[in-house]
Amino acid sequence: MSHKKLPYFELRNSTVDTLLFIVKSTDLSELRAELARRYEATPGFFANDVVAIDLRRLENERIPVDDVAALLNEFRLRPIGIVATEAQQEWAGKGNLPFVELRERRDASKPAAAPDAPDAPPATPPSPPPVSESTAKVAATTMVIDKPLRSGQQIYAPGDLVVLGLVSFGAEVIAAGSIHIYAPLRGRALAGVHGDHEARIFCTCFEPELIAVAGIYRTAENPLPDNVLGKPVQVRLNQEKLIIEPLRLT
Amino acid sequence: MTKIIVVTSGKGGVGKTTTSASFAAGLALRGHKTAVIDFDVGLRNLDLIMGCERRVVYDLINVIQEEANLNQALIKDKKCENLFILPASQTRDKDALTHEGVEKVITDLQGMGFEYIVCDSPAGIESGALLAMHFADEALIVTNPEVSSVRDSDRILGMLSSKTKRAIEGKDPVKEHLLITRYNPKRVSEGEMLSLTDIQEILRIELIGVVPESESVLHGSNQGVPAVHLEGTDVAMAYQDVVARFLGEDKPLRFTDYQKPGLLKRLFGNK
Repeated sequence: MSHKKLPYFELRNSTVDTLLFIVKSTDLSELRAELARRYEATPGFFANDVVAIDLRRLENERIPVDDVAALLNEFRLRPIGIVATEAQQEWAGKGNLPFVELRERRDASKPAAAPDAPDAPPATPPSPPPVSESTAKVAATTMVIDKPLRSGQQIYAPGDLVVLGLVSFGAEVIAAGSIHIYAPLRGRALAGVHGDHEARIFCTCFEPELIAVAGIYRTAENPLPDNVLGKPVQVRLNQEKLIIEPLRLT
Repeated sequence: MTKIIVVTSGKGGVGKTTTSASFAAGLALRGHKTAVIDFDVGLRNLDLIMGCERRVVYDLINVIQEEANLNQALIKDKKCENLFILPASQTRDKDALTHEGVEKVITDLQGMGFEYIVCDSPAGIESGALLAMHFADEALIVTNPEVSSVRDSDRILGMLSSKTKRAIEGKDPVKEHLLITRYNPKRVSEGEMLSLTDIQEILRIELIGVVPESESVLHGSNQGVPAVHLEGTDVAMAYQDVVARFLGEDKPLRFTDYQKPGLLKRLFGNK
């Protein structure tokens, strides 16, 4: 049955992906110091990503949630709500943020995997997501893709990315960190997309359409030299220049 | 248990409908009750290939919109008694194909005891193609030995692993079979066409068969006879092999090597 479309707006049920900021300490200055240490060098890292504040790891301690929200705002994260246990809702709901309900992501490629216990941190690797999906865990973790990536599919990893299947012509793998591909790379690979010049691309069979590290790219228009084409290769930046060199797998 | 098989490719003109007709007929010839559904609303062709275009009264869209019941719309094939064809509508808009409607048709066919439901997908990656693959358990990916067809098949493989019911519900993935059609060993040996190994190297899925390029396919289509019925032709044998492999038999590949014509053949002409 089709919904009657209203001319001015529609209300729909939908699922939104956010980061989870899992609070493990009530010490605000510690939280700030750690955030600064990890992300100050890349101020654009979160680029206004939305985030939910997860309090469930704090057992009996309390933390002023609005202050956490303000802190996250400084790092360009945009808090949209609070995830809390029933006992915590009493004190945590006094601020400005609403509670949001959390549904743990199930890994679509592994139906047999048991869902996480509700109080455990989300530890399962996310399934190959569509465009710009972010992991439930805060950045810097490694995403593992074990299915082949076909033409038209795109993967974004907020940290490092490991791909075990083939990356076809017309597929795109993007990571804030490094990219490791244990199969032929025939599509595009973009590492260090938030400006990390240290990011690298590793690949066991190098036949790409395009490679890029921190925005510096090379297409297949200029043929790749024979010593790297189809070979195990690493790609890195050296003073704003892409260096493509064979891997010595000894 | 009913098995739903989608015949798909992304690219048009590679032989999806020819394959759907021959594959469904091949299953029926082996005694399996089979239905073949044309999902190409607005550009229906399956009825022509199956030679039943004059017997179309109701179609898939009539059934979906409850203007006819499934028994009225199903056309019994004249050659095999286990084969039924559900034609597409030629006059309706392709938006008439709805998710709920297709689901109901498929559930009803399951209820009628069909063993196999073959879904003939339209070309492209729009809603018609997505609906044709949505309920599939297995997929025949029809590919020609040329780069654009291979790339489109790759795209379709990506959709099979992300957009189908099995993928969305996290069940076992749709089982993918690669079927290479219009294969011409001579042109492959001359480097004009991609070879079997090239295609498999790119797509990396299991090969279910190779159908050689042949004039008899066109003759068959014009007469409304699915290629699998063209006794004695290499195409018919290739499709029979495909059906046999699909049913779990072990058959060596045929018609994939180029044999230079001998002296007599050269003297007396080779078409």
